[in-house]
Amino acid sequence: MIVQRSDPTRFLITPALIVGLFIVSAYGYFAFSSLFLKGLPGTQFVGELTLENYRRVLFTGSNQYVLLSTLWASLVISLITIAIAVPMAMVIVRAKRQWVGNIIMLAIAVTFLSGSVTRAYSWLILLGNKGLVNLGLSGLGIVDAPIRFLYNWTGVGIAISHYLLPFAAFTLIGAVRNLNPSVEEAARSLGAGRATVFWRITMPMLLPGLMVTLVLVYSVALASFLFPMLLGGGKVRMIANQIYDRMFVEYDIPYAAATAVVFLISAFVSIWLISFVAKKVEKAVS
Amino acid sequence: MENLQSSTLQLRKLTKRYSSFDAVRDLDLDVPSGSLLTLLGPSGCGKTTVLRMIAGFLNVTSGQILVDGKDISRSEPNFRDIGMVFQNYALFPHMTVEANVAFGLKMRGVTKEEQVTRVREALEMVQLAHLADRYPSQLSGGQQQRVALARAVVIKPKLLLLDEPLGALDRHLREGLQFELRELQKKLGITSILVTHDQDEALYLSDYIAVMNQGQIEQIDTPIALYDKPRSEFVARFLGVPNIFDARIVSTDAHHATIGLGGHTMPVSNMDGHAAGGECKVAIRPSHIEVVRADDGRLGLPGVVKTAHELGERVVYHVEVNDLKFEANTPRSSNFERFTVGHPVKLVLDPAHTVLLRA
Repeated sequence: MIVQRSDPTRFLITPALIVGLFIVSAYGYFAFSSLFLKGLPGTQFVGELTLENYRRVLFTGSNQYVLLSTLWASLVISLITIAIAVPMAMVIVRAKRQWVGNIIMLAIAVTFLSGSVTRAYSWLILLGNKGLVNLGLSGLGIVDAPIRFLYNWTGVGIAISHYLLPFAAFTLIGAVRNLNPSVEEAARSLGAGRATVFWRITMPMLLPGLMVTLVLVYSVALASFLFPMLLGGGKVRMIANQIYDRMFVEYDIPYAAATAVVFLISAFVSIWLISFVAKKVEKAVS
Repeated sequence: MENLQSSTLQLRKLTKRYSSFDAVRDLDLDVPSGSLLTLLGPSGCGKTTVLRMIAGFLNVTSGQILVDGKDISRSEPNFRDIGMVFQNYALFPHMTVEANVAFGLKMRGVTKEEQVTRVREALEMVQLAHLADRYPSQLSGGQQQRVALARAVVIKPKLLLLDEPLGALDRHLREGLQFELRELQKKLGITSILVTHDQDEALYLSDYIAVMNQGQIEQIDTPIALYDKPRSEFVARFLGVPNIFDARIVSTDAHHATIGLGGHTMPVSNMDGHAAGGECKVAIRPSHIEVVRADDGRLGLPGVVKTAHELGERVVYHVEVNDLKFEANTPRSSNFERFTVGHPVKLVLDPAHTVLLRA
């Protein structure tokens, strides 16, 4: 390729560069602060370079617990979400009656467009001890005492999963649409029942799409903040809540920064790990 | 691979009704055991619908699909024992060629050793044994379709369904694979149904051709009979006969008739027992019209050359006879006579190939 030295378009990148530099420097400054100690009220950080904040983040039990439970819960919630999204995407794409697919699509779109706070409070109403779900269950005589959904991982998980569902469903719709139905028909005529076709043909063909979806929803799940705050009631904490508290409750910016840096790195590593495993699985199946 | 126990296929009053129209209506069809029947027709004529109903991918509205006399029209596709080849190959992309071909055997619980032997035999049959470890994406279109063919026949199905199997291939490959497909089908003696809109493919591959139109069979015949004696205007047009004219039947006897065409009378063959005095349509292929000098002694239609195009091995003339425009072909043999535009000529129609169509 010939590079034209006097290409004027390269100057057009300048504004973007300035904005980009501005953003990066803000993050950089925040990360840099993690190497100092908290200053007096009104100042940001003081003292000499130290790794004290990182020591606190990495080697205190409560920090380790929150970090690991954030990573683990995000993975589990993502997998559950995908398990729900796959049949949804299949119905949306393949329903014999178009309107069935359209209604599900509409429901997902409405979910997608409604605000998180609205949804969090909706779940509070639905999942409370005297909420619709528990009233229904006890009314039907299925449970004696109300099931505790709120202020534990169940409720937070339900809400996060509901939040992730549109991301997963919309991504998978494309993947399902790209499936060639003849391939499944061929398997059927060769003697495979519906279940066999689903597990041995459809799912392996969907696998690349599933892996992309997993990485996407996992990244979104890691950043959950609002649902654990509102539905966790202080008992369920994810890392974003911890960073928030350190920033705005304890005013310990360096400590918050160290937490964020550790979280960012572990998020990248875990996403990389998932992609790595995904590639291995794809190889093994094919 | 030893020969299969050939099955017969019968369709009885097969109907597929959608809310707004009938895709297939009261279709009756008999496919003798071991033969290849082609469903030929334009898109939307219902041929693919029939095939998909036989395969079990579409529910039947009413009617029966009898394989060896047993109605399979309500059973699940996986219990029908049918091999199918699709236009887009439909190989399992995540499996090797070998695993693709073995899939049907695995589903039937065939032992591992037998699977290996039968897969190898099937792949040898389509000359792809050396590619057994490849993935479908590493094969050419022609190779993929041969794998699909091996996969379909390795289970020794009662029927082989071919849904435009050569449609996605380029012309050169198509001809080669046509030949292979025909040889294989004959050798194995599998009762087969082919769906295509390509008349050359149909003429080459089939024992019988059923021409379909609007969910019904217009004509079913051997390829040669169909080519020579189309019985309706639709069939004649679909098989590319350009010369179709209104005519009047002057007189008839057992197998012949005399018709009035373009102000002249002509002898023609009369297979369908058309009665004298009626109106009818008459069809003749360009290659069955001889273009001769106007002063030729034979019985014919005098006309004037409107266009003349030399196309490789033949000359295509358009000749006007009293408002009727005929298309005629003359082979460009060593000493043929050229007629130029405006030249008066005479058209000699071959009576054996001048066909009266059903009104």
